Amino acid sequence: MSEHNEQEEEKNKKPKIYNFLRVLFHPHDFLGILSEDRYKSLKIRIVLIEAMLSLLPLFIVVTISYFWFQQILKDDFKNQLKWELENTKQSIEFFLEERVSILRFITSSYTHEQLSDQRTLSDIFTKFKREFPGLVDIGVIDADGIQRTYSGPYRLAGADYSDQTWFNEIVIRSSNLSDVFMGFRKIPHFAIAVKREVPDKGTFWILRATIDMKTLQKYASAINIRENDDVFIINREGVLQTPSRFHGNVLEQYKEIFSFPEDNLSIKEAGQSEGTCDICGYAPIKNTPWILVAVIRSSPYAKIPNIFRNELFFITIISVFFSIAVTIALVQTVVNRIKKADQAREAAIAETEHAGKMASIGRLAAGVAHEINNPLAIINEKAGLMKDILEGSRDMQQNREKFLSLISGIFDSINRCRTVTHRLLGFSRRMDISHDTIDINDALKEVIEFLEKEIIYRNIRLDLDLKKDLPRVVTDKGQLQQVFLNIINNAIDAVEEGGLIQISSYSKDEHFVRVSIKDNGRGIPRDKLKHIFEPFYTTKEKGKGTGLGLSISYGIVQRLGGSIHVESEVNKGTTFFVDIPILSETV
Amino acid sequence: MKQKDIKVLVVDDEVAFANTLAQRLKMRDMEVGTAYDGEQALSKLREKTPDVIILDLKMPGMHGMDVLKEIKRGYPHIQVILLTGHGTDRDEEEARRLGGFDFLNKPADIDYLECKIRKAFQEKLERTM
Repeated sequence: MSEHNEQEEEKNKKPKIYNFLRVLFHPHDFLGILSEDRYKSLKIRIVLIEAMLSLLPLFIVVTISYFWFQQILKDDFKNQLKWELENTKQSIEFFLEERVSILRFITSSYTHEQLSDQRTLSDIFTKFKREFPGLVDIGVIDADGIQRTYSGPYRLAGADYSDQTWFNEIVIRSSNLSDVFMGFRKIPHFAIAVKREVPDKGTFWILRATIDMKTLQKYASAINIRENDDVFIINREGVLQTPSRFHGNVLEQYKEIFSFPEDNLSIKEAGQSEGTCDICGYAPIKNTPWILVAVIRSSPYAKIPNIFRNELFFITIISVFFSIAVTIALVQTVVNRIKKADQAREAAIAETEHAGKMASIGRLAAGVAHEINNPLAIINEKAGLMKDILEGSRDMQQNREKFLSLISGIFDSINRCRTVTHRLLGFSRRMDISHDTIDINDALKEVIEFLEKEIIYRNIRLDLDLKKDLPRVVTDKGQLQQVFLNIINNAIDAVEEGGLIQISSYSKDEHFVRVSIKDNGRGIPRDKLKHIFEPFYTTKEKGKGTGLGLSISYGIVQRLGGSIHVESEVNKGTTFFVDIPILSETV
Repeated sequence: MKQKDIKVLVVDDEVAFANTLAQRLKMRDMEVGTAYDGEQALSKLREKTPDVIILDLKMPGMHGMDVLKEIKRGYPHIQVILLTGHGTDRDEEEARRLGGFDFLNKPADIDYLECKIRKAFQEKLERTM
């Protein structure tokens, strides 16, 4: 029992997927789409599925190649930025080296004493400034950190630098480059200082020049930048050395969090803002506290060249168009073939049905002709005889008795004809049905009594299995008995001598009582089984059956609101099932 | 040749038909016997051999075709006219193949039938001569 349940469950599981597929591929079964629309919907579904199958990979490939191309452009852009940063960095390095060299040249060309002379220094300053406009001022500082001589726009002669960091540093090194500071003029500038040792005296002096920051800015802005990009210089503490567009002014703190690169130029992606990421390039400038920074926010790489995009778009559209066109053409052909095949099949079925109907009508006509021709022949002969007699004698009185008997014979034959036509009409016309409340078993027993003699005579075993307490049914007793009589009669004819007939009655469900009549006779072949309810169809020997019994039974049961069906196996026997409604509905 | 010489046997399971037809043929100066099924007809042949037999096809027990076969086997000179209510073309073909003289459908005109009987009798005479 449990095994049985498991199997049932198994059965229930599979159909879920199956049903889903069914709904997907046969929606007309559920939506009740019929005939022409069914093919249309089939076409649409196949086109959609095919288009999906062919277009999905296309879109995936296009999307992937689009992003792949974007990535290439991005990498390319990074390389370009790196190259530009490298160039600018080298330019700045070269520029600074040059300044240091000039200062060194001056310190080695002039003695401390010469430069201490204000006129000489002014002369050098003037000439130097003429060659290099970024120069702000120039001064000579002695070993104690006191500015001895000064040439420039400020009065800084005598200023004491001994406690400043750059001075302490230059004591150890030979030259120094300061961070940017605002100075007195409130313009950003930086200082380059060069130490000159005086070995014989064991002392040193310093030549210091301040340079306007704008000169460095010029180099930075040589980098090719766009609207949202930014290029500037910071020192190693992250303080801005040149003004920037978006990251603050000179001497403000650069707010982006980043780890300062060691020595080498580096390109990083940082700051996810609104889906695009900035590309930041850091280039530390050799021998200086400075880092050249480029922040590219405009993401020019994201703008894929129009030509590529157009080509991609064009190819995609053409592919889509082609695949859909091919799909539609294919589907059109296939579905039309299916439609034609369906139509041919339907036509064949209709033809077979028609042929079957014609055969039935033919059989009916032949049957009627036979049934009616015999009594007609009798009428013919009787009437003919009357005519013969009348022609033979003139004395009517003498033949009176004979005539009366002939006329009654004619009426008998007319009655026979009437029975046939009446039966025929019974097929098409509803006849009045009486409503009796009956016990099916009693009705069956009466019929069996009627046939008992023949059953005994032919030595047939009759097996009755009638359920007690069957619900009483409201139906036409006479007609129902006619049905039972016909079927049991057939069973008697079907079995051999000593055969077996089993008759049972039971409740089929709450609406129907079923009577089954089973014989172990020769059975009915499959090809004949479908004809047995047709009028005048008979498999009995000629002269034995009219071929009307089962078709009449069929009509009666149908009129009583029940149904009749048959199962048969050749050489094993035939079973007729008659379902009778408990509450008869007249159709 | 006298008409009385024609001996006819009417074989039909419709008693009313057989008797009435027999009576009418008697009025036409023939010697007529009746049989109501195949077996009866064959046994009557043994007593008295008719010249022409009017035979129905569809009868209980022996079928008309079988009766025809038996007659033609035992008495090839007897002419058989088939007279049936539901004769199909195939039945007619079969009957002629078995040696039936003619094949008529019920109801048949008595004069036509009489004419056929006489022709059949002529045929019989020609054959036996």
